[in-house]
Order: sequence, then C-alpha cells, then structure tokens
Amino acid sequence: MSTRSASATQVLFDAPGPRGRARIRLLSVLSVLAIAAVLGLGLWQFGRNGQLAADKWLPYLRRDYLAFLGEGLLGTLRATAVAAVVAFPFGLLLALGRLSRLRVLSAVAAAWIEFFRGIPMLLVVYAFLLALPAYGVTFPRFWMLVIPMILVSSATTAEVFRAGIRAVDRGQHEAGAAIGLTSGQTMSAVILPQAVRLVLPSLVLALVSLLKDSTLGYVVSVNELQFQGKTMVSITRYLVQTYLVVSGIYIVLNILLTRAAHLLDARMRRRAATG
Amino acid sequence: MIAFENVGKTYPDGTTAVEDFSLEIASHEAVVLVGTSGSGKTTLLRMINRMVDPSRGRVAIDGEDVAGLDPVRLRRSIGYVMQASGLLPHRSVLDNVTTVPVLRGTSRREARSRALELLETVGLDPALARRYPSQLSGGQQQRVGVARALAADPNILLMDEPFGAVDPIVRADLQQEMLRIQKELHKTIVFVTHDIDEAFLLGDRVVLLRPGGVVAQQGTPQEILAAPADDFVRSFVGADRGTRTLHVEEIEGRRIVVDADGRAAGVLEPPAGGAARA
Ligand SMILES: Nc1ncnc2c1ncn2[C@@H]1O[C@H](COP(=O)(O)OP(=O)(O)OP(=O)(O)O)[C@@H](O)[C@H]1O
Ligand SMILES: [Mg+2]
Repeated sequence: MSTRSASATQVLFDAPGPRGRARIRLLSVLSVLAIAAVLGLGLWQFGRNGQLAADKWLPYLRRDYLAFLGEGLLGTLRATAVAAVVAFPFGLLLALGRLSRLRVLSAVAAAWIEFFRGIPMLLVVYAFLLALPAYGVTFPRFWMLVIPMILVSSATTAEVFRAGIRAVDRGQHEAGAAIGLTSGQTMSAVILPQAVRLVLPSLVLALVSLLKDSTLGYVVSVNELQFQGKTMVSITRYLVQTYLVVSGIYIVLNILLTRAAHLLDARMRRRAATG
Repeated sequence: MIAFENVGKTYPDGTTAVEDFSLEIASHEAVVLVGTSGSGKTTLLRMINRMVDPSRGRVAIDGEDVAGLDPVRLRRSIGYVMQASGLLPHRSVLDNVTTVPVLRGTSRREARSRALELLETVGLDPALARRYPSQLSGGQQQRVGVARALAADPNILLMDEPFGAVDPIVRADLQQEMLRIQKELHKTIVFVTHDIDEAFLLGDRVVLLRPGGVVAQQGTPQEILAAPADDFVRSFVGADRGTRTLHVEEIEGRRIVVDADGRAAGVLEPPAGGAARA
C-alpha cells in the first residue's frame, strides 16, 4: 500500500534532485521555526500577563474542579450518544424516503433534508428555546439541545446513507431480484448491510460533528462540557486556562473518534482488497 | 417447456434489444443462446424469469404465460446464475446457497445440510462453506453461483455467461462439471455465452443470434457445423478460417482424425458393420 502510493507520487511529481531536496529541507526547517516562534510568542504573552503562573493551573488537578468538568464531559457524551442513537436510524429512513419511487415521499424527504442541512444549528436551538415556547410548546432543557442536534444530524447522515446505498454495485439489485427477493428484501438483506458497512467511517465522523454541536448546550444551559466551562470561568475568573483545558478535552475526544474512523476505514479497505 | 412467442423488447430509452424472436425449448433440453455482445441474449434470458418484461409477444412456461405469474415466486422456482458478482459479498458461501430455500420455507438446518451436498455436487470442498465470496477464486465463486441456483431444486436453470470471467483452464473444468451435473439432474437449461466452443460443447441445441435478437441459425451443433446458413454463421463458427476442418490420415492401418494444425484429434471408428469386413 505505502509503496504503491509512494510510486504514485513519484509519477505525479518529479523526484527532487539534490538542490531541490536542500530547498525542501530549508523550507521545512523555516516553517517549524515559524510555528515554534508563534507558539513561543503566545506563551511569552501569557507568561507576561501571569497566565502561566502555577496557581492558575494547579486548580485543574483539584478533585472538585475535575468532578465539575467531569460532569460536563458526561453531559456532552450523553447528549451526543442520545442524539446519535435517534439521528442515525432517522437519517437512514430519510435516505430511503428520498430514494423512494413514490414522488411525494421522495420530495418531502428531500425538502426536509435540504432544510435542516442548510440551516445553522444555532437557529434551530433558538427556535426551541424562544419561538416554540411562545406557542406554548416547551421541552426540558436537555431536549432543547438534543432535538435540534437530531434534526440537523439526521439530515446530514441521510446524505451519507444515500451515497452509501448508491455506491453498492448495481449488480447487487439484480442479484437480489434474480434469486427471488422482493425489492424490499433486496434493500434490507442485500443493499443496506453493504451500504452501512461502506459508510461506517463517515458515521464515526458524523459523531465528531455531533460532539461539536453539543457545545451549543450553553445556549440552553445544559450541563455539558462547554457550559460547565463557562460556569467555571464565571466562578474562578480563569478564562484562558479553563477554555484551554476544555478545548484540550474536546480535541482528545475528537482525535480518538477520528482515529477510530481511520482504523475502521483501513479495515474495510483490507476486506475489500482480499476480493 | 419454455416457449418464446414473437417476443420483442424495446427499452424505455428507445433501444430495441429484441425485434421478433420465437423459440421453443423442450423440457430437460439444454439450449445455448450464442451471439456477439449486445445481441439481446441477456434480455431474452431475463424474459423467462420476468426480470425483463417483453414489450411484444409472450413467454410461456408449460403453456402458462409468465406475465400472469407472480415474479418473486417465479424467480424462486427458477435457478439463475449470473456472470461474476452475482453472490452476496456480505454473506458466507453457505448463507448464499441457503437464501432461497430458507425464503421458501425450508428449515435452516435442512437447507444447510442440502447446501453442503450441493457444494460437493458442484465440485467444491464443503470446508469453504464458511468463507466469504471475496475469499474464493473466480472459478470457485462461479461454482457457488451454480450451487445456489440449484439449491431450490428448480426445473429450469438460466445461466448468463456463467464462466465468462474465469481463465480458460478453469472454464474447461467448469464446463465438464456442467456436463456431468446435467447428465445427473436433467434440468431444462437456457445458457447464454458468446463463446461458440462452449455453445457446441454444452448445448443440445444452439441458437445463433445477430444483433436485435435475430436468429441467424438454430439446430444441433452437428447441423450448424454441417451446413452453416450463411457467411455470418460461417465466420462465427470459424468454419471459414479452417479452425474446425478436420481430415483423416491413415497411420499403421488405423484412420486418425487430424485437425487443421496437424494435431491428432482421435481415431475414426469404422461405420457399424464395417469392422467385420476389415
Ligand atoms: N436496461 C436497459 N436499458 C436500455 N437498453 C438496454 C438495457 N439493457 C440492455 N440494453 C440494450 O439492449 C441491447 C441488448 O442487450 P443485452 O444485455 O440483452 O445484450 P447481450 O447479448 O446480453 O450482450 P452481452 O453479451 O454484452 O451481455 C444492447 O444494445 C443494450 O445496450
Ligand atoms: Mg448479457
């Protein structure tokens, strides 16, 4: 695999000669220096303003601070999980609707998908926080966050599923028909299992965007990580430190998820390659 | 018996794949449709199990118009072997073979034991049953395809270039296997190929098609070889290139049949009664 991609790069770009290589090395060194300088400057600024002082960082090792952030982390994970569990199957249904031969169903699904894919999630959250209550429709805070997450995520995953279903070999529809499956059976027993396998890595990435979407919880005051962070700032006044810690947690979570997606993807590829 | 009665097919995009085709296929007969790419072979084959509905004319099985039959039930009663990729890649070999019997209500256990027998019938090691199609060679996959088509014990077997994607040696192997299976099971077989040698080997009767599903000639392999109807047939069967001309040489008192390249093809038996005179 790696040898093949290496040779592909060699085909696309001339292999650099000695002078080219020297230039590339020089540029690499310069860019590393530039990045280090920017980071250093930031740290120096922080240091000058006393942001690096140990007493501003050590609290994050205190049990009660950790518990407070941990509660936020739990809230984030809960919102993400609940949203995903509802949004993914719903997205699949939307995709099937959009692919349906029934014109009306297909049009309704398409309109629904395009609407929620195009609208910023913050607006949907505001709709649940401000607009709907004006008509007497209110939800618990948790659902004011999670329902918008579901609406937006199901629309995007619907498109993921649709691409997956389309990507399954056309011959598989014929194979299903030829052995006497109804079109419904062909879809559920032949096409969908293959489509879902194809899009599994993309679904993990959809989980990453759900995780980020959950940060809007602060708008409706759900105890998710971002909101806990905000509360913590208002108590401790350690703005920079808190947000750096909170970002760090998000980044670690998302890196883990993305790694999982890549691993899945690689496994799928290996499977396919044995054919 | 399968009867095509003046069938024609024009696809929605306006392509006329088949103009006007008629043919009767007797029960237990193996008929091979052979023709160049795009001559309408697959279209004709699929009219039998209603994967394609004819635009004109009708197809009848034992006198009954298939248009009046439920397509799903019809297809479950007819075996169909596709060119490559007909297997379900996410299901094991065993599950591929048992799908239809289980749908027809056979118990899973019974379907499995029958599937294992079938794998043996088509010359596959039953140990392969737990593998996935991608873990098999092309020839093995085609054998699974044949086993699957036989699983519901259909009277009719439709085969669309089943051995098109395997190398010549494996293909020859599969062809012999096919002959053996047919000797044993006596199905009504409609077989599609563009390989005339395969057609002559497997067909009790061969139907040569021109584009548009027009019959150029039909008959037993012997009849077609003995009297090619026209230049199209002659070039298709290779008669004009001399590839099929054989002649007889006398060697040590025996009459040897020799092909165009001078290779011995066999020994010519004297006609019945002639032996006594010699
Ligand atoms: N679904 C379809 N829509 C439109 N045209 C079609 C369709 N299926 C087949 N055709 C056309 O009908 C003609 C006959 O096709 P068919 O598949 O029956 O040929 P074939 O003899 O099986 O060819 P091959 O040996 O390549 O499989 C071709 O010109 C093909 O392009
Ligand atoms: Mg074909």
